[in-house]
Amino acid sequence: MSGESIWQKEISGEDIKRFFRVLFGAIKNVFVSVYNRFYDYGSQIISKYGSKMAISFFLIPSLGFISVFYFLPFILTFLIGLTSMDFTFQWNWVGLQNFIRIINDSFAPKILGNTFFYVFTTLSFFNVGMALVVSLITNHIPDEVGSAVRGIWLLPRITPSTVYALLWLWAARRESNALINWFLGLFGIPPTDWMLNHPWVIVILVNGFVGTSFGMIVFTAALKSIPEDYYRAARVDGASTWEIIRYIEIPMIKWPLLFVTAYQTLSLLTSFEYILILTDGGPGLYTTEVWSLYSYHVAFKSYGGTVEIGYGAALATVLVLIGIILSIIYWRVFKFEEMMTEPKIEV
Amino acid sequence: MRKGQITIQALVFLIIGLLIGAAIGYFIAPKPTGDIDALQKELEDKKAELEQVKTQLQDVLSQLENLKQGKTITIKVWAVGPDPPSEYRFLNFQLAADVLNAMLKDLGSNVTIEIEGQFFARPVEWEQYRQNFYQSFAAGEAPDVYLTGHEDIGYLAENNFIIPLDNYINKYWDLIYYDVFPTLWKAVEYKGQKWAVPQDTEARPMYFRKDILRQLGWSEDEINALPEKIKNGEFTLQDLLEVAQQAVDRGLVERGILHRVKEGYDYLQFYLAFGGSLWNPETGKMVFNRTAWELTLNWFYSAVYEYGVISPNQFSGDWDADFHGPFTEGRALFLSGGTWHKGEWIQKGLLTEEQFKDVVGYALHPAARPGGKPVTLSHPLVYTITTQAKERGLDEIAFVLVTLVTMPTFNSKHAVQSAHLAITRSQIMETQYSQDWFLQDVAYMLEYTTFIPNHPDWGKYSRIVFNALRAVETGDMSPSEALNYMVTEMQNQLGDSVEFVE
Repeated sequence: MSGESIWQKEISGEDIKRFFRVLFGAIKNVFVSVYNRFYDYGSQIISKYGSKMAISFFLIPSLGFISVFYFLPFILTFLIGLTSMDFTFQWNWVGLQNFIRIINDSFAPKILGNTFFYVFTTLSFFNVGMALVVSLITNHIPDEVGSAVRGIWLLPRITPSTVYALLWLWAARRESNALINWFLGLFGIPPTDWMLNHPWVIVILVNGFVGTSFGMIVFTAALKSIPEDYYRAARVDGASTWEIIRYIEIPMIKWPLLFVTAYQTLSLLTSFEYILILTDGGPGLYTTEVWSLYSYHVAFKSYGGTVEIGYGAALATVLVLIGIILSIIYWRVFKFEEMMTEPKIEV
Repeated sequence: MRKGQITIQALVFLIIGLLIGAAIGYFIAPKPTGDIDALQKELEDKKAELEQVKTQLQDVLSQLENLKQGKTITIKVWAVGPDPPSEYRFLNFQLAADVLNAMLKDLGSNVTIEIEGQFFARPVEWEQYRQNFYQSFAAGEAPDVYLTGHEDIGYLAENNFIIPLDNYINKYWDLIYYDVFPTLWKAVEYKGQKWAVPQDTEARPMYFRKDILRQLGWSEDEINALPEKIKNGEFTLQDLLEVAQQAVDRGLVERGILHRVKEGYDYLQFYLAFGGSLWNPETGKMVFNRTAWELTLNWFYSAVYEYGVISPNQFSGDWDADFHGPFTEGRALFLSGGTWHKGEWIQKGLLTEEQFKDVVGYALHPAARPGGKPVTLSHPLVYTITTQAKERGLDEIAFVLVTLVTMPTFNSKHAVQSAHLAITRSQIMETQYSQDWFLQDVAYMLEYTTFIPNHPDWGKYSRIVFNALRAVETGDMSPSEALNYMVTEMQNQLGDSVEFVE
């Protein structure tokens, strides 16, 4: 044991570089060999069985992934919806009883109406509307300022949702010194209990400010990809800013607009975490209860300890069906397929 | 050539002769005295028996070896507050295990009892606590001792989550269980068996601010006489509304009456005061008294919209900002709470013991009509032993620990810190408990108490009540709409489990 042990040796920058070179080299080799192996199998299958089989072969990993993480949970949800499962977790089959109960549920129409109201309002005013306005405005002001505004707008998105919602709860309290009442008080508007009198306003604002950021990023990226020539040509022709927006920018980002609308519809349909924290479906009886929250309440929440996981799963199954129907409508009516086939924006 | 033929013939004869000889020998040979198969079987049995004895001996030897090395038995206990001061519901098991371990050591045993588990407090609420239990049970990892509300017993027993405890209780009856208040045993009974051991109980007082009443012009004598007046039915729910309104109208308080901000059982007291009952012990069914519910809904409606003493948004409030805060800061006159809230206020530093004495008074929930009976509601929490504890062979030792924590010394630690009431008669005289003036003061309330039913579907009843009251307070439903809603949902969701009375 003469000389320095390896643990005592000082590590130089060169050592670290070498370490990462070797590490990345090894990782690359693994990927290359897996790829080669896969490629070889693929080639063999093409030569043996033709290209259709080969396509199926290459689809196996994704199909497996989709089956396990997408189809299986839905099938399980549907199957649980056919049981009267509670905290005993027993599969007591009851047939379509839960689905019949949904039809007879006196609050189902109200909750369904709430859901569509919530999705439609948040979507049109914020997730698409506000997102479009913010990206258009920030596209027409100096880029440094525009980027800063967009950066700030992302803050609610990166704030933990509970903290963000609780801040809103404080801001919307009934006391005259709570943020919203204080601000409106400057204009002589008397304080009010926002969570009691206007719960939807707060629910939609909270979701909207977070939801705006997604559309804003997509729209801004699309606007940035509109070739400069169009703007120059328009200016030469004497177009105003409004005309540029109306006749160049909006038509050019038609497809991202449709994509954000479709994607955010499905996302809003199933999201309920902010409503849960803000109103928990209240303040009255199912005032702000949306379908997904109702499903959660029925399946998991009961002060007295009686939960109905089976009925909750049946409610969730209906929500999936609504999502599928809406997807088909978007696909057919808005010709989503066309958007998927070829790029609509020249880069 | 001839010589060769003779040799072959001789060989053939020899073989035939040998065969014949063997045949004769076989037939004339003496038979064995027993059946050989039976003998062999007997031998095998003996061998197996010997093997068994050997294994048993090895077991005993290894047990002896274990004892020499010391053996640790781990008991898993789960308890819930959710109010933080109720931590002794769990901590007492650790203290009891220390005592038991010391005894075992003195007796020369090397067995050690270890307590594993958890005390669940806010932000964990009852719903999550229960969900945790059922999920851990499904995974085979349920606690051996599970503390829960007595109303869960019906569901837990019906679905084989817990074991009946009559035999265990009888075994230690003379040690401590004879001393448990008989009414509490009623709370743990289901279908004629005892399924749990009472852990604590409480009363739900109507707290009032003495300083506000002074400002309203009440004399010290009048203030001090209020609990007695309520007890005698001389101060009713109607008087409560009127006094609260005076305080609000004169700008002394922001809110006249506060009640809990989440689902719970406190509201049932008003229904009981209006003559309602919750269950029929003879039929085992829950009871829906239409008239009493109508009066209750009307009372809440007028409290919010006619007298303006309850906030329409109280049910969506926050525990600190809309319940504890306004009352302890003197911004509300009455608070429909529980004895444990006193413990919570002191522990949180919202009030000192002296301040509490000076500005807070407490009484039963008033009767609905003059001369009527005032009410309170108790919700005893109980220790149950799970079926999984039995499967693990830990039921006996778990029950010994439950018995120890039921003793006055241990239970009083919990009662005093969390302001819960005694469960045994001798506890009243116990040193710590007897020095707590508040617990002594509210003890009489147990004479006016009611329990909620141990019915498997109780949770649904409670949820419907909560929905209806919340809708009335927020103005989403009129009292008559809410009553119709309750009747329809009770019929749809509970069917035969509920009896309707007018």
